[in-house]
Amino acid sequence: MRYRIALIALAGVAAWFLPYGLDSYAIHVVNVILIFAILAVGLGLCMGVGGQVNLAQVAFFGVGAYATAILTTRGGLGFWVAALLAVLATVAIGLVVGTPALRVQSHYLGIVTLGLALAFTNWVTNAELSGGAEGIPGIPVPTLPGIDLSSEYLYYYLELIVFAVSLGFGLFVVRTGLGRRMRAMRDDALAASALGAEVPMLRMVAFLLASVYGGLGGVLYAGLIRYVAPESFGIANMFLLLGMVIIGGRQSLIGCVVGAVGLSLVRETLVDHPTVAQIGYGAVVVLVVVFAPTGLAGLPARVRASPARRRGRAGSAAQLQPFHPYEVDPAPAAGGEPVLEVDHVSKQFRGLKALDDVSLTVPEGEIRGIVGPNGSGKTTLFNVISGLYRPTRGRVRFRGRDLTGRAPYRLARAGMSRTFQNLRLFGDLTVEENLLVALDRSGTSQSWRYLLRPLSVLRRDRDLHRRARAVLERYGLAEFAALAPKALPYGIQRRVEIARAVAAEPSLLLLDEPAAGLNGEEVRQLGEIVRSIRDSGRTVIIIEHNMGLVMSLCERVTVLAGGRVIAEGTPAEVAVAPAVIEAYLGDSMNVDDLPVADSPVAPPVADSSVGGFPVGDLPEEAAK
Amino acid sequence: MQVTLQTIIGGVSLGAVYALVALGFSLVYRTMGLVNFAHGNVVTVGAYLASTFYLSTRLPFALAMIVAIGVTGLIGLVIERVLRPLENRDFDLMLIGTIGFGIVLDALIIMIWGATGRAVPSPVPSPPIDLFGLRIRTYDLVVLAIAAVATVLLVLFLSRTKQGAAMQAVAMDHEAATAVGIHVGRSNATAFMIGAGLAALAGGLVGPLLYVSPALGGALGIKGFAAAILGGFGSIPGAIVGGLAIGILDSFTAGHFQGYSELVTFLVFTVIIMIRPTGVFGERTVNRA
Repeated sequence: MRYRIALIALAGVAAWFLPYGLDSYAIHVVNVILIFAILAVGLGLCMGVGGQVNLAQVAFFGVGAYATAILTTRGGLGFWVAALLAVLATVAIGLVVGTPALRVQSHYLGIVTLGLALAFTNWVTNAELSGGAEGIPGIPVPTLPGIDLSSEYLYYYLELIVFAVSLGFGLFVVRTGLGRRMRAMRDDALAASALGAEVPMLRMVAFLLASVYGGLGGVLYAGLIRYVAPESFGIANMFLLLGMVIIGGRQSLIGCVVGAVGLSLVRETLVDHPTVAQIGYGAVVVLVVVFAPTGLAGLPARVRASPARRRGRAGSAAQLQPFHPYEVDPAPAAGGEPVLEVDHVSKQFRGLKALDDVSLTVPEGEIRGIVGPNGSGKTTLFNVISGLYRPTRGRVRFRGRDLTGRAPYRLARAGMSRTFQNLRLFGDLTVEENLLVALDRSGTSQSWRYLLRPLSVLRRDRDLHRRARAVLERYGLAEFAALAPKALPYGIQRRVEIARAVAAEPSLLLLDEPAAGLNGEEVRQLGEIVRSIRDSGRTVIIIEHNMGLVMSLCERVTVLAGGRVIAEGTPAEVAVAPAVIEAYLGDSMNVDDLPVADSPVAPPVADSSVGGFPVGDLPEEAAK
Repeated sequence: MQVTLQTIIGGVSLGAVYALVALGFSLVYRTMGLVNFAHGNVVTVGAYLASTFYLSTRLPFALAMIVAIGVTGLIGLVIERVLRPLENRDFDLMLIGTIGFGIVLDALIIMIWGATGRAVPSPVPSPPIDLFGLRIRTYDLVVLAIAAVATVLLVLFLSRTKQGAAMQAVAMDHEAATAVGIHVGRSNATAFMIGAGLAALAGGLVGPLLYVSPALGGALGIKGFAAAILGGFGSIPGAIVGGLAIGILDSFTAGHFQGYSELVTFLVFTVIIMIRPTGVFGERTVNRA
């Protein structure tokens, strides 16, 4: 930390004294570089942090510059008033350009934003207001009392301050709740929304940030060059900007700045051979995406990792610690109000009826098991309950409120949390950050705090970190806090996902096959964890194929087959129901899977498929 | 009425070219779920190659075109081979990779052929046909015929040959395709090669219609993409219908909005994406990528 402060101070001093060593041309180059750096930070926030492909950043830049030019020369406004209005105009355009992100992502979004950027250039080259192809000359010099900003040396300091503030603000966003939610959305939008991240709003925030930075860059450009023309805001510069962000490392704002400075310097040295420079940076972009997707910013970590891997790790490996049970909630748990009521729900996928008139009611404090053969609609039911699918027919009531077809993040904020069959951890976030996303219940609409009350944001974040550490301790994950989930063994990843789901403080927890891929001991621990979660006052619904676990853990079991509920009751009742036996016959039902009376934990038995055992044997075994 | 019909006819030949560009996009997209952002630049390369061979070596137009298709096919192979490590892993990175190739191709074009454009004389010098008072350029008919033949050949390749069937299989499920012994990389390479060949065909054909310049591909690429989306991305009939529709829309906006025609086309295109991302014939979910 002290090292880092020293480094920042050193960079600050170097930046402050830089103009003393530069001639008038060099300072002009530096001023342009700073503008590109601001633009690159904005693009990095949108693309690298928010995961929103944005090929219209150069148009935001253009809107900022043109708006300043038009408002000062045609509207007769002072530079600073015009600058403020220009940034507001850019934000308005940014939100319009961002709207398609609500509907489409990735390639589609790329082409739409590119198309809108081209539309902008098309407009400025044709419109009389923007001076057509000749552009607008004669933008007045911005005035500051006592400082002559027509001197590029003094203008440098203005730019430097704007740059430092905007970079600092960007880093502040990335490292606190808002940026974490954006990164979570980038890694896995579905899981993020199931944890309460308002995905549509976050996407707009990504474009909002990009347009603010674009607008700032545009205003500074107008004040520096005092002349705007269409070619400065064309596709070539967009791709240059993209190259800066990719080569520098899109996920790191510092990387974006490094990329902007580096690429600008290279372009400057090759100023007489622009096509050579273009071939060069195009080729580097290709090489970077193939060989070093994290860009220059990712290199230090890669360099550090490679010799360590060759030598083998020194010291002891991180250990999974035992789970510390929750305090038992003294309030009477079972038998209360129904937490969840699924009322005649059907879900149709074109020809396929995945759910057919499914009804079930889960009272507060229960552990409900949902079993059924593969393809019987269990996960579809979870997806309907948690809002990922809208049911074709029927209603879902959660704690007495009809929340059918609400967006997943609304359900999450109402107190529902889930895990996924195929693990959906945020791959580029650490284990601790995965938990922080779930713990953070502040809404994105409260992001004004970032501008007006930054200290309260910092305080909240410190508090969140404290709570995340408590969760890590409880689940025995403390030693994995700083690791990427992808690096962990499967069983630990499963535990992280459960910890993350419970960290969201749900009243209803949905677990989709939490025992899949776990070994016997891990399944036993899982049973313990789930029981403790229930005892702390939460309701749990669990989809599971491991019959031993279901039989020992669940109070009631609902059996699905072919999208219909075919049985419901206590594990013992369900196990002898003829419809269940029929549905399971030839599947993985095994006599050993059934509970032995009085034994609290049935031995977790690996699925051993016994084909065609006599039907008569099963009820007798189970009834014992 | 007369004017409307004449406008439509004016748009149809360009529309056929857009359809060819859209076919290239669609073929690559349905096989590997990737939008090739260098596609427009490949169109430009094709246009320059065809016109260069046609003008300077005095090759017959058809032969010049075939040479151009061969060379761009190779470019397609190179792009696919370099980006292969990212296939089916990170679509956003692959997208940026194709942009990188686009940047390189763009610079190479300027380096080889210069920044100024060239006009290509029509290879069919006969005068326009007069049909009920409508004037139809003979070259427009040639363009339509070639585009139609190319489409039929592509459909036959996909439905009748083993390699084509393998590509369809990869498009549906690349893992299952691997499991039955299809070389997914080779199949993707074929798709890329054919896509690039179609781009060159489009570029070669459009040469005599428009002015061949480094900026040619950018406009054609985006409009071809718009056509592919409008018809339903990945669908072959969709690409044809979308191409013709964008061509006609283009011809109307050029008449009504003059300089702003591009702006209007892009705005219409954005609105379409917002309303119906899967296009007219599209069935796939949008977020395949």
